[in-house]
Amino acid sequence: MKAARFDLVRPRDLAEALDLLAAPAGVVKVMAGGQSLGPMLNLRLVEPDLIVDISAVPDLRRFEREGGTIVIGAGCTHADLEDGRAPDVGRDMLARVASGIAYRAVRNRGTVGGSLAHADPAADWPTALLALGAEIELASKVGRRRLPLGEFLTGALSTALAPGELIVAVRVAAASASAGFGYVKHARKVGEFAHALGAAVIDPEAGAGHAVVGALDRAPIVFEDAGVLFGGRVGPDARSFDRTVADAALKAAGVENEASRHVHVEILRRALVQAFERAPAPARAAA
Amino acid sequence: MRGRGQYVADVRLPGMQDVAFVRSPLAHARIRGISVPPELRDRVFIASDLDGVKPIRAVSGLAGFKPSEQPPLARDKVRQVGELVAMCVAPTRAEAEDIAALVELDLEELPAVYDMRRARDEKASLVHEEWGDNVFLETLVDVDIASAFDAPIKVSRTISTARQCMAPIEGRGVVVHLDRRLDQLTVTTSCQMPHIVRSGLSECLGIAEERIRVVSPDVGGGFGYKGILLAEEVCLGWLALRCGHPVRWIEDRREHLTANADCREHHYEITVYAERDGTIRGVDCEAIVDSGAYSAYPFSACLEAAQVASILPGPYDFPAYRCRTWSVATNKPPILPYRGVARTGVCFAMELALDAVAAEAGVTPEQVRLKNLVRPDQMPFDNITNKHFDSGDYPEALTRALRMIDVDGVRARQAAGEPDGRRIGFGLSIYCEQSAHGTSVYSGWGIPMVPGHEQAGARLTPDGGLELRIGAHSHGQSLETTLPQVANEILGIPTDRIRLVHGDTAMTPYSTGAWGSRMMVMTGGAVATACEELVERAMAIGAHLLQADVSDVRFEMGRVVGPNGDVALSEIARVWYRRPQDLPLGAHGGGLEVTAGYKPKRDSGTFSYAAHAVVVAVDSEIGSIEILDYVIVEDGGVLVNPMVVDGQILGGLAQGIGTALLEEMPYDQAGQPLASTLGDYLLPGAAEVPAPRIGHMETPSPYTRFGVKGIGEGGAIAPPAALANAVNDALRPLGVEMLVSPVTPDRIVAAVLAARSSTLQRRDAA
Amino acid sequence: MNAPVRTPSGAALDLTVNGRAVSRAVEPRTHLADFLREELNLTGTHLGCEHGVCGACTVLVDGEPARSCLTFAAVCSGASVTTIEGLDDDQLTSELRAAFTREHALQCGFCTPGMLVAARDLVLRLPEPDERRIRVGLAGNLCRCTGYLGIVRAIQSVIEERRARGVAPLLVERSLGPVGAHVASAPAAAPTLRDAAPAERTSAAVGVSEFVPAHTFEQRFTVAFPPEQVFGLFGDVRAVADCLPGAFIEATPSPERVEGGIRVKLGPITAAFRGAASVSRDEAERAGRILGAGADGRSGAQGEIRYRVAEGATPDASEVILTVGYTLKGPLAQFGRPGLVRDVAGRLTAAFVRNLEDRLAGRALPQDRGAPSAGLNPIRLVTGLLLGRISSWFKRIRPGGASR
Repeated sequence: MKAARFDLVRPRDLAEALDLLAAPAGVVKVMAGGQSLGPMLNLRLVEPDLIVDISAVPDLRRFEREGGTIVIGAGCTHADLEDGRAPDVGRDMLARVASGIAYRAVRNRGTVGGSLAHADPAADWPTALLALGAEIELASKVGRRRLPLGEFLTGALSTALAPGELIVAVRVAAASASAGFGYVKHARKVGEFAHALGAAVIDPEAGAGHAVVGALDRAPIVFEDAGVLFGGRVGPDARSFDRTVADAALKAAGVENEASRHVHVEILRRALVQAFERAPAPARAAA
Repeated sequence: MRGRGQYVADVRLPGMQDVAFVRSPLAHARIRGISVPPELRDRVFIASDLDGVKPIRAVSGLAGFKPSEQPPLARDKVRQVGELVAMCVAPTRAEAEDIAALVELDLEELPAVYDMRRARDEKASLVHEEWGDNVFLETLVDVDIASAFDAPIKVSRTISTARQCMAPIEGRGVVVHLDRRLDQLTVTTSCQMPHIVRSGLSECLGIAEERIRVVSPDVGGGFGYKGILLAEEVCLGWLALRCGHPVRWIEDRREHLTANADCREHHYEITVYAERDGTIRGVDCEAIVDSGAYSAYPFSACLEAAQVASILPGPYDFPAYRCRTWSVATNKPPILPYRGVARTGVCFAMELALDAVAAEAGVTPEQVRLKNLVRPDQMPFDNITNKHFDSGDYPEALTRALRMIDVDGVRARQAAGEPDGRRIGFGLSIYCEQSAHGTSVYSGWGIPMVPGHEQAGARLTPDGGLELRIGAHSHGQSLETTLPQVANEILGIPTDRIRLVHGDTAMTPYSTGAWGSRMMVMTGGAVATACEELVERAMAIGAHLLQADVSDVRFEMGRVVGPNGDVALSEIARVWYRRPQDLPLGAHGGGLEVTAGYKPKRDSGTFSYAAHAVVVAVDSEIGSIEILDYVIVEDGGVLVNPMVVDGQILGGLAQGIGTALLEEMPYDQAGQPLASTLGDYLLPGAAEVPAPRIGHMETPSPYTRFGVKGIGEGGAIAPPAALANAVNDALRPLGVEMLVSPVTPDRIVAAVLAARSSTLQRRDAA
Repeated sequence: MNAPVRTPSGAALDLTVNGRAVSRAVEPRTHLADFLREELNLTGTHLGCEHGVCGACTVLVDGEPARSCLTFAAVCSGASVTTIEGLDDDQLTSELRAAFTREHALQCGFCTPGMLVAARDLVLRLPEPDERRIRVGLAGNLCRCTGYLGIVRAIQSVIEERRARGVAPLLVERSLGPVGAHVASAPAAAPTLRDAAPAERTSAAVGVSEFVPAHTFEQRFTVAFPPEQVFGLFGDVRAVADCLPGAFIEATPSPERVEGGIRVKLGPITAAFRGAASVSRDEAERAGRILGAGADGRSGAQGEIRYRVAEGATPDASEVILTVGYTLKGPLAQFGRPGLVRDVAGRLTAAFVRNLEDRLAGRALPQDRGAPSAGLNPIRLVTGLLLGRISSWFKRIRPGGASR
């Protein structure tokens, strides 16, 4: 199938883009790399009147360091993070996630901002960046605002983006030196959307961490304090992982199928194990 | 590799317009109205416009078969999601789709028949009302099954295989134009069987066959799907006549997945009776095949189910057998023959049941098989369903496979356990592939196509080259390589001077086409026969040029050799074409151009076979499967080109892995297909397919030229059974047995959890 | 009504294809693959899915592999595109072609152009001929014929040869952001909205007696109002519609019949199911059912709300038992992500319950609660209708018949 007819504008800078979004004519979709929107257009599941193509907006294709925070422009691609053109928040944390997204030819155009705006629960960035405590920076003609990613993601394919607004950047604080990042994706084949996702940042030295279960039919489940998964506090390793806590959370989130809860819990456990293992060795020795 | 192939979508004709179809969104409904905006009336065509076009009818001569009528555009009812309802024409596909979106359908929804197991219920909705039920065909074979009932071991299993899509990377597509000079409808279509498509088009369009030319250009994979006459082809044929300009329809992936290319959905209730040592006493089976809404041309809706009955025994020799089959109609796309056809499902059912027998008898899977496989000393062998096995040593293939995969080492590793907690499983499966079966087999079926002699044309060119013409089509089977090899063997002409002309009804002899793994046996035999006739012609001329008697010359390495000298074939060609004055009086007027036919000495088919052995590691907590080792020992008779044969096996294996682990076209209760992209319908990628080790045996067929056998489909037959058996071997200690393909992580985890909870319940009860 | 067939109009596009400057007008919806194939007759770029999965259409954009089916031509202004035809004289591709032939790495050849582009990228980037990395790297290029072994071996051999020759792996420097996206020179002009004229809408009776929804949600809640009052509210279909985000009513020709629809947003997908509903009530049981069916042109939906108002713990309170069910048909059903639809339906149901409570309590309903308003423009809804894209197949679900 071919896409239904639409108009296309290619703003040269952010101001132009926001102007266009402020005065929408019909249904307007913002497109960056087009790797999520493209298939839906080609299936005519989405038939916008206007596409605002922001792929060339320079303000979005950059990064910054603000103290310990790395600000990644929404227009940076998965490949930019995979290849290290944009900085990582720890040793290969973002790069690891990025390199597992779809396929290289998709990663060369697909953007971080686009993936978050699409908010597909089976995509990698929502889950991974929740674990890394990311904030989303939004802009519209009336101004800018920041939202914790958890507040930004409101459901499956659903976000807090207001009319006229777009994502300009993702802000991620650099991980603490003693933290480890675990990220496990369960899929039937390489490059497929995830059937289960587990992400965790654990700092055994600080006895703290958080964990995320993704690839549900809804927004990811966040354990702000991963300690609840270990009987109260984050210990030196993942051995005291309490499946029932995670299982209850999934049940409460409406995951009725027992087998899929089992897999989600197991993938979360593996992400936690990985996070402990990847925490720098001195920390673990001390613990 | 330079982008210079010419596939159907690459054909460019002046004035060509694109077609998009309006398809049914519902699985089963009465059409109450189709409304076309008046200003688009000349761009949209519906059933009532198609004057004189007949429905597609693929009959079968088997007793009790109910033929279906598939109107190219739906008339009163739609019987599957995706059925064609209207045809829209515009300068581009996108614009044609714009028009299609403006056509409104008024449909009265009817309950959908979505589950083949319930299609025969009394209350089931009727796909074809006039039938009174939903059964295309029911068959029964009973060979003394009662004699097995007292066997000490009786193992029953319910086994099923998912509906799949063939999914060649290129879909179907057709470009039609009216060649006014020749008054010929020229149909360029991505197909495996151009001559059969022509016959089908002729029947449906009511145009004599000589007024239709079917050209099959480069074809991007077929696997059976491109052997079928499509309603789209009929529609475009009519449209080109009506519009006067060339028209084109290129199937997109959504159409392919949701409307057109379904295959493989089988259901088995199988019982094996055996002695305590695993010797089979009898096999009793009820099988249902979900044939979909229509009988597809030319193979018909009963190809699969009726074959199930005759091939279920596979390479095993046992004394009692009963098999009842039903080909049922459902509100799904017609089931089409996909590489392996019924054999993949049959192999899955039989090989899984045999492993269950092994478990019950307390012997190894290999012991059960070695006990029951047909032995080489029985060859040629007529099995319980009267299949005539030409040759082969099945136990040897199995034994070699066991050796290659080091079964003892695998068992030791399995017993030791893996450090990461995964479970090792070992699986086997063996199949036989009857191929290149001809008149004697197909005449009994009474379908629109019965293969007879396969013909090939061979023509020496004036400068000593050779043109070969075959009516089948090569699309990845490398006939462009192997047939010249055959001709070179006989004529000695270098292969780079041999051209293969194929895929064009105007330029090639009639052929039923590329199907049934018959290409090498049949076209190879035909090419050889034609080349031999050329040799005779050449010898007559050569002898004259050498001033010798024909009986004194021989043909060697591309030369006619006489007592006092020799003359090259190229010189003979030069004389025939350019210096006819030098020809003998009474030279054969046919010259150096021959069309010859070939049929094996016995056309009941060749039986190639293989033993597959696989080692997997199963992660029972998340259901993932890693293939650690894969061994294939195959016997395809004498191999013309081992690299090409390996290519067919490797490609088949990848498809078999798709069937085993990934591919499934699910339908909901409304008959809606639930996968419309390759993101939902998963094809194996490079990371999912192992690098197998292949061992070759070469037991010649006594009936064919050079002793070759057909091998094109075999690779896809055994993997689902071997992999499921391996998974079951890994999970048997947990009380888990997977009997449904594909064996997916979800299914494994669900089964593991169910087994755990039933273990707990038993403990509680005790 | 506008005729849909219009001369393709579009902005001029300037880019470089296979080293040559190309300037063409192109419709925004034309993807790069169609542009290359249909406009430039570069048919070596193949289309296998148009969803970005199969990889047959992979080309080089600014020297990097990209999906030409998911890249609209119009966004490639200023880009440099290289197709398989443009790699004729490329040294590395020539090495790969030789290796592909040697290793029998192609059969039907349809995936080969995209496969070569992906293979070239892997040879450039991978430090070693690691089989696993090559296989994972090829995940985005499907081949249905070869089983990949020949392809993997061909790539391995070329990497090996090149590394042996001292050719190091290479990561080309490039700017951040999507490959091929270059800043447009002209300021973006706001487009004009297409004309749209009102159209007649037709709709007929719906009576679905045997509807069994594919998905259901049950929700129970108590409200501090007596059952009669609560049951009374359910009798006011307009009030119920007000509580159901996205629902709208256009006519109530009889107490048993309502015409209207519901707009649902599923991420970027906006569906406006329009049709009619039948209403039935059982006074004795204080129960009722609103059953509707609608279509948005390609997809169809049937849905029902069943409710029962029971006595609460005190005489002034009621317990409401609410069951919401739906079935989807057509492309939306076939999209393969039923779970996502469930999430949307679940959120709709939750918002409905909150709105009902508010309404009973006499509180004003928040404007945006659960409403699919974001991204759903009423104009669009109208345009969709105007183009006559409402099919009426839902109309004829047999009244009282045996259908579901």
